[in-house]
Amino acid sequence: MTALYVLDVPENTPLATVAAADPAVTVGRIGPYFEITATGPIVIDRRATGCRHAVWYSAVAGVARDSRITQHDKDALRVEPT
Amino acid sequence: MTGLEHRVQGVDHAAFPTFDPAGTVRFYRDVLGFPVVHSICAAGWGPEDHPDFIHFFFDIGNDDRIAFFYYFGLAPVHDQERGDVYAGFGAGVPEFFVRSRHLAIHVADEADLLEYRRRLDGSAWPVEMQIKHETIESIYTHDPNGYMIEFTRAMRPVTPQEDLDATLTIDALLDVVAAPEPTFGKLLARKAELIVERAADWEPAHAESRR
Repeated sequence: MTALYVLDVPENTPLATVAAADPAVTVGRIGPYFEITATGPIVIDRRATGCRHAVWYSAVAGVARDSRITQHDKDALRVEPT
Repeated sequence: MTGLEHRVQGVDHAAFPTFDPAGTVRFYRDVLGFPVVHSICAAGWGPEDHPDFIHFFFDIGNDDRIAFFYYFGLAPVHDQERGDVYAGFGAGVPEFFVRSRHLAIHVADEADLLEYRRRLDGSAWPVEMQIKHETIESIYTHDPNGYMIEFTRAMRPVTPQEDLDATLTIDALLDVVAAPEPTFGKLLARKAELIVERAADWEPAHAESRR
């Protein structure tokens, strides 16, 4: 299980929207956080989110211990099961 | 939450040494329009060979103040090219570290930010950088003493959930730095645990924004 947490503030909502477009990904909530989960990898395309760099590189609130970020650059955020 | 009542009322003053009081007054009073609101003329005293000095203050809004010390007869304390008159840095210190310490002054909106940009750009200390992203817009320059000064405005009000997020970040950070070899990855893993433990029951303590 891959799990990624993103705080629900206006500039972060495109990340959840783009993530949810993948049918293998589930976007739920824990309090004010989006809980983005999948059995396999979670991949979010930066350009699809429209996020500029300051937000893009500070949008991740948490990554579950059994997951890890394998890519976080100008193209994409990729979180995979360990 | 610490349970301690939060009684303080902002910055009384932040103080910095200067070797260039004329430039400092030009920059803060004449270019930026910050009123001179207080000064102390003091003869040197004390166990050290303390020089006579002038301690002078400018209002930076909200009754908060920036203050300077000018010491008569004191020569610059270092000759490093990087840094400011207080602290100099050699070639081995990374630029991001040298540029980390700064004073950010809050303005209400874009019109006010651009007004300070206009004042600086017409001076000997023009804006060096203007940065706008989804949450803030800022301009930066260095004052005559080399101190980095920022003017910043919020692009949107701070939300209550950002207070929760900051609390979880700090709790996660304290856990991670208490163990060997802290990393960003370890922080995000610890913070994920705290989100699962604590975020579901969170309710905004106050719905109104603070700024």
